[in-house]
Amino acid sequence: MTDLHWASVADLARLIATKEVSPVEVVRAHLDRIAALDPRLRCFITLTADEALEAARAAEGELAAGSSRGPLHGVPFALKDLFDTSGVRTTGGSKILADRVPAEDATVVRRLATSGAISLGKLTMHEFAYGPEGLNVHYGTARNPWDAGEERIAGGSSSGSGVAVAAGLVPLALGSDTGGSIRIPASLCGITGLKPTYGRVSRAGVLPLSWSMDHAGPMTRSAADAALVLRALAGYDPADPTTSVLPVPDYTAALTGDVKGLRVGVLRVGFLDAAAPEVRDAVESAIKTLESLGARVDEVTLEHVGSVAAGAMAIVAAEALAYHAEWVRTRPADYQPDVIERLRAGAFVSGVHYVRAQQARALVRTAVDAALARRDVLLSPATPIAATRIGETEAAFGEGTIDVRSSLLRFTRPFNFTGHPACALPCGFTAGGLPIGLQIVGRPFDEATVLRAADAYQRVTDWHTRRPPLAP
Amino acid sequence: MNSIDVDTLQRAARLAGFDFAPSDLEPLRSAIERALQALERLEALPLATVEPVTQYRVV
Repeated sequence: MTDLHWASVADLARLIATKEVSPVEVVRAHLDRIAALDPRLRCFITLTADEALEAARAAEGELAAGSSRGPLHGVPFALKDLFDTSGVRTTGGSKILADRVPAEDATVVRRLATSGAISLGKLTMHEFAYGPEGLNVHYGTARNPWDAGEERIAGGSSSGSGVAVAAGLVPLALGSDTGGSIRIPASLCGITGLKPTYGRVSRAGVLPLSWSMDHAGPMTRSAADAALVLRALAGYDPADPTTSVLPVPDYTAALTGDVKGLRVGVLRVGFLDAAAPEVRDAVESAIKTLESLGARVDEVTLEHVGSVAAGAMAIVAAEALAYHAEWVRTRPADYQPDVIERLRAGAFVSGVHYVRAQQARALVRTAVDAALARRDVLLSPATPIAATRIGETEAAFGEGTIDVRSSLLRFTRPFNFTGHPACALPCGFTAGGLPIGLQIVGRPFDEATVLRAADAYQRVTDWHTRRPPLAP
Repeated sequence: MNSIDVDTLQRAARLAGFDFAPSDLEPLRSAIERALQALERLEALPLATVEPVTQYRVV
């Protein structure tokens, strides 16, 4: 097979299992792609090529001896650089942790290794995951591969993860999502990113931004791959007391392609109505596609969703400053400017503000639950705009401008606030060739239905199979 | 809400345990004002009988 770097996780796993390709061939193909493109795209903070090749040779030997570690045997992946990796530095995209080498793997890293996957290294991100643009002054800002001029953001904070998957450097990356940090780069880079239900996937060994809003999840090029990987990642972890004991279903088995009768609630007020015209048109078209497949579509308005921005800001600012307090006091000059400003702002969130925000959270959670009581999924754009230029803080919108940062977070953050599962996937392109993302939200712990809807859409559309105009 | 000056922010930060210089706070001043105004608006929500989220909803 040529172009191994564009093969899906599922195809790579099958080709390796049937010995049509070897893990060494697969890892080499991706390392070659990284060597050719990463100097321009700036995804990797730490590339572990030697370790990956050694692991690939071991995987090849195991297969020759008739054994397989699991469903991802020999499949390469990479990690946002806030997942702890034993013996490999984990920086959080920061200068402060530039030399931090964990002694143990994060639980999800261990689970991927147990499934047979092979890490190629650590990916850049917005410093300490505190920003939706994906900016990083210490290791470089990852470039959106859809922009020939290489001057547009990837979206963040899991920026390196979004670019690496979109550009074919890896078929799978892990990201974390506190306000949209998996779904925003998925939307802006044209890939599929899943934020699971709060409690579905362990965060043990993941550098925190905000303990009550942080989620970890897969970033892939299809919902089918996300389903395969989620099964490997999910499940109770004694090291993370917020994880659920609910059994982990076979998400791949749920991908029937059948959405006849699926009840889809379209979020228009505050979502579709607040998106740029090109985004709105693409999402309207996706709604029609789902209807044509037999989904039953209606519209629903989420009460109190206007309180999310203030409430989430209070919670994240307070929790982030609590984690960073000592470094904010002793090493403020070592943060990038936008991040230290956000951290300092946390000092002005009072205890009453924090509790009010948690009360608002209860209201919004109830509203989302109510919307899903008579529907299987909710649907909205993932972001109101496509990728903006690096350094741009305001973007043209209608006859005026909008603030880039708050706009990027607007549609994704409500579901960090409430903990519901949400998936972003491509549903079109702007006239300028930039990806547009759709968001599908489900009931708590019902990732299977979210992925079924996303997969059914991808079976009849080709947005997720388009590739950025990169040479080679 | 009245405009907040840097001196007030500095004293509030000190009470919270952070010794920020005026030059650190001046660039933040308008953003903090906007954030505090947004937080004030939460008071208008029907929260009188709503218990805050204090436990993760995990089963």
